[in-house]
Amino acid sequence: MSTKINRRDFLKIMGWSGVGAALAGCDMPSYVTLEEGRETVTSYVHPEEFVIPGIGVRYASTCQQCPAGCGLHARVREGRVLKVEGNPSSPINRGKLCQMGQAGLQHHYNPDRLRRPLMRAGGRLQEITWEQAEKLLLQRLGPEASLKPGRVAWLTGTVSGHQAVLLDALLESLGSPEGHYVHEVVNDVVSQEVNRELLGDPLPRYDFGAARMILSFGADFLGASVSPVHFATEFGGRFRGVWNDPEAFRKGAFLPERERGVLVQAEPAMTLTGANADLWLAVRPGTEGVLALGIANALLVKHRRDASMLPEEVRRLVARYDLDTVSGITGVAGDLIVRTATWLHERTPSLVLAGGPATGQEHGFQAAAAAMLLNIILGNVGRTILPSGEFPFPQLTPRRGGTGDLLAFAEKASQGAVDVAVVSGTNPAYTAPAFVGFAEAFGKVPFKVVMTQFPDETAQLADLVLPLRSPYEDWGTHVAAYQAERAVIGMQQPVMTPLYEETRGFGDILLSLLKARAVEGYQGFADYYAYLRHAFATFAQEFGGEAVGEEAFWRRVLQEGQLRVPRRPGRLQAKAVPVRLPEPRADTEFPFHLVPAARLGLWDGRHANIPWLQEAPDQITKVVWGSWAELHPRTAQRLGVEEGDVIRITSPQGSIETRVYIHKGIHPEAVAVPMGQGHEAYGRYAQGRGVNPLKIVDAVREARTGELALFGTRVQITKVGRRERLVRMGGAETQHGRKLVATITADVYRRSEGGGEHVA
Amino acid sequence: MSLKNLLENWSRYRRGHEQGGYHDYEHMWAMVIDLDKCIGCNACSVACYAENNLAVVGEERFARNQAMHWMRIERYWDEPDLERAGKLEHGEYQQYGASFLPMNCQQCNAATCEPVCPVAATYHTPDGLNAQVYNRCIGSRYCSNNCPYRLRFFNFWSYYETSWPKPLDMQLNPDLTVRDKGVMEKCTFCVQRIRAAKDKAAREGRKVRDGEFQTACQQTCPTTAIVFGDLLDPESQVSRMWRYYEVELGKTEQHKRHPERRGYRIMEELNTDPCILFLERVREV
Repeated sequence: MSTKINRRDFLKIMGWSGVGAALAGCDMPSYVTLEEGRETVTSYVHPEEFVIPGIGVRYASTCQQCPAGCGLHARVREGRVLKVEGNPSSPINRGKLCQMGQAGLQHHYNPDRLRRPLMRAGGRLQEITWEQAEKLLLQRLGPEASLKPGRVAWLTGTVSGHQAVLLDALLESLGSPEGHYVHEVVNDVVSQEVNRELLGDPLPRYDFGAARMILSFGADFLGASVSPVHFATEFGGRFRGVWNDPEAFRKGAFLPERERGVLVQAEPAMTLTGANADLWLAVRPGTEGVLALGIANALLVKHRRDASMLPEEVRRLVARYDLDTVSGITGVAGDLIVRTATWLHERTPSLVLAGGPATGQEHGFQAAAAAMLLNIILGNVGRTILPSGEFPFPQLTPRRGGTGDLLAFAEKASQGAVDVAVVSGTNPAYTAPAFVGFAEAFGKVPFKVVMTQFPDETAQLADLVLPLRSPYEDWGTHVAAYQAERAVIGMQQPVMTPLYEETRGFGDILLSLLKARAVEGYQGFADYYAYLRHAFATFAQEFGGEAVGEEAFWRRVLQEGQLRVPRRPGRLQAKAVPVRLPEPRADTEFPFHLVPAARLGLWDGRHANIPWLQEAPDQITKVVWGSWAELHPRTAQRLGVEEGDVIRITSPQGSIETRVYIHKGIHPEAVAVPMGQGHEAYGRYAQGRGVNPLKIVDAVREARTGELALFGTRVQITKVGRRERLVRMGGAETQHGRKLVATITADVYRRSEGGGEHVA
Repeated sequence: MSLKNLLENWSRYRRGHEQGGYHDYEHMWAMVIDLDKCIGCNACSVACYAENNLAVVGEERFARNQAMHWMRIERYWDEPDLERAGKLEHGEYQQYGASFLPMNCQQCNAATCEPVCPVAATYHTPDGLNAQVYNRCIGSRYCSNNCPYRLRFFNFWSYYETSWPKPLDMQLNPDLTVRDKGVMEKCTFCVQRIRAAKDKAAREGRKVRDGEFQTACQQTCPTTAIVFGDLLDPESQVSRMWRYYEVELGKTEQHKRHPERRGYRIMEELNTDPCILFLERVREV
């Protein structure tokens, strides 16, 4: 243990940062919950009231490893956080966590965390004190700074809750209210636009329990999605027919209450969701929309589904996509298209989703609109697709974005139109494709501030680097983009004393700037904690119920880790529009399609510095600690490569070299390279390992939204002639006839436990 | 020794697990893993790293099969059952997805690892656990040699020197040890959590309640694919499930009255009598 963390001083320090008053456990209405219950033998050595040696205490907080907003319970013993678990009362993750959430601990305790502010002097970043850093920051962003309107840009990851409120107020005061750019590589910008236009709701709620079937065009809802843990609980529970209600489960209700839902996944390269499909369809990249229309055609022609809700124009369009045409374009066997359509016909209501490679094309909007057409024909809107409702505090809702914002930011910066740029919660120097020329554009900004926990690639380009507290050391509120049945504001509280004194919380930095600029309404708050307390005092009147004091209300919210808020009911429309899908074009120079694969693990590269996740085998290929390129056996044979052979993947924007992994879960015209590796900085575990496929992504934009078409890159592949060992778990790819993973058909399952009429 | 004797002895040995070891088990901790629910996301594995102080060994040592993943998700590409049933029509694609298999120590009741330990470092506890006494272990590695599931992990190095550079070591769970070079380790069914729950129950003068505590992998599993509990408690969730799926401990052959119900143990034909019941994956074909 670091000598700085004297556990005897634990509370003293906590009190100094305003934490002491609010040490709230989760279960009991006292300040603190003892994991082990009442102790009958009391030790002499009780350093402080809340620290009992050997006894763990749990604090509720909100996970920050991705923007899904899962609730946490952090186990703290002797002043150290040891383990995080899901918060069982969170409607988002219901007590569960994914591997990224579990591994948040290794971001917190990461040996490469920044401990002091850094300033560029003589071309190099050098450590300075917070006083110096603050002075520098105020010179550029304080009241004396002569800022012209619209010349400050703030590039962040997803921001929500009260941090977003402060950021808005600050940008307003800086004269750049439009200066907030939000960059997330894994995003659903195109889907949101389709939903907004056709349903009138950018992110509706999906009822997995009502859906008898899911047809997903590349939407990796179990993996790289807006709320992976939530969707996994729904998928393994209500969709498979078992409600997974802990109480009912304990009483023996482990048998399905309804029929098992069927998942069909159509995509060019297998995702985690695809790996769990009942039927996985390899689609020629970029033809997902055509497949959707082909299935619509089969529904209307073969199954005579009612199409009266469709405009004449749309009906004529669907009629053009007959089975042979669609099979020819998409490469999906005709009988599988028919089977999918038949299942959809028989299993109403269903749910049709589109995302990832389907929407990451130039015509991504059109493809997703074609998928939506199926929802409309099948009558899913209003049955499995429900209105999300209106969140009562629009100022707290997440500011979301994609790569389009990054492109806009880089363009503005390269024109010399930005005087001060602040980057926080994102690492664009790593995630920006080479064609963006991010480093060059960023270099034209006279003063560049990066707020981060780690020495990442963007920090290397900064003039001033401000080390942030870890999410386990900081205050905050978070509103998830995808809210479950009951909406919540997630609470984030420090679960232990900051490891490094010379770090600051994101909210605290924003607040200090607001105070320095004498913005009305922020002067009275000593720190961000005080500001949050004030904000929750108003919530107390609204949600506290009868006779609950502010203090008790605040403590209750912290103990629960969330504040439930009612949503106003919303409405959905169902608008069918004609879609225009291009014929796939053959490219002789660049015959393959690049699939930069995002995985529940390293994600967009932000978790590459976590040793647990580097050593956690990739779900599909089981490779660890490096990069690889996935090829179909037929493609590999044509190229004359075997597993471990190094290939060069060249796009018009550059090339990468990595080792081949061969499997049949990919279309022969696609090559999938996972995101996350290829860091040039970012600490000992990430640096100099593998390749970054984002670098060679081509400058193709989705036509409607302007979002980067992440899956629209054409590439050529050449054999390098070098071999490298592909380090992966297990030697066997097949079961060699042993009964390891046994599979039964759904028919057999229906005849026994899956019939939905059994009681244990 | 006549051939007859040899065969008789062999036969008795083969069915030895039917007599059981102890006759006064306090608990019989067991699991059910539903392969139709498991999505292969790997959350259980990382939760295990966090809970049980598992060392990160790095790429080089991983390549030499020295990784310490007590809970690992194996992935297979073939579908022997569907192939046999003639349900695989489109052989050029991975038509039915992938097959995921979470593997942690099967806590066999007739564990092949136990009798070969020269120092009795691995033994059976009255809780029905296949335990590993780190202090006794001399690193002969006979046990891992004998484990048909390859679920025992040997410390070839002193990982504490490299796996937790400061301050990563602050995360280490003080409820259990960090193992040194020359020691075998494996899944314990989170014995530290079992101990804590038993101690608490003893203090309160009652039995451990079903669901009172969870193993780390079970607790985090997003699809609730893992169920854990005591087979000696007839009302526990695992007991109900083992009963429903008609799999019994201590039986050489399972005679199912409802053979269409799922439920099997991996490599049970080896008579290791594992305590983890797997439920078949289901595919709509």
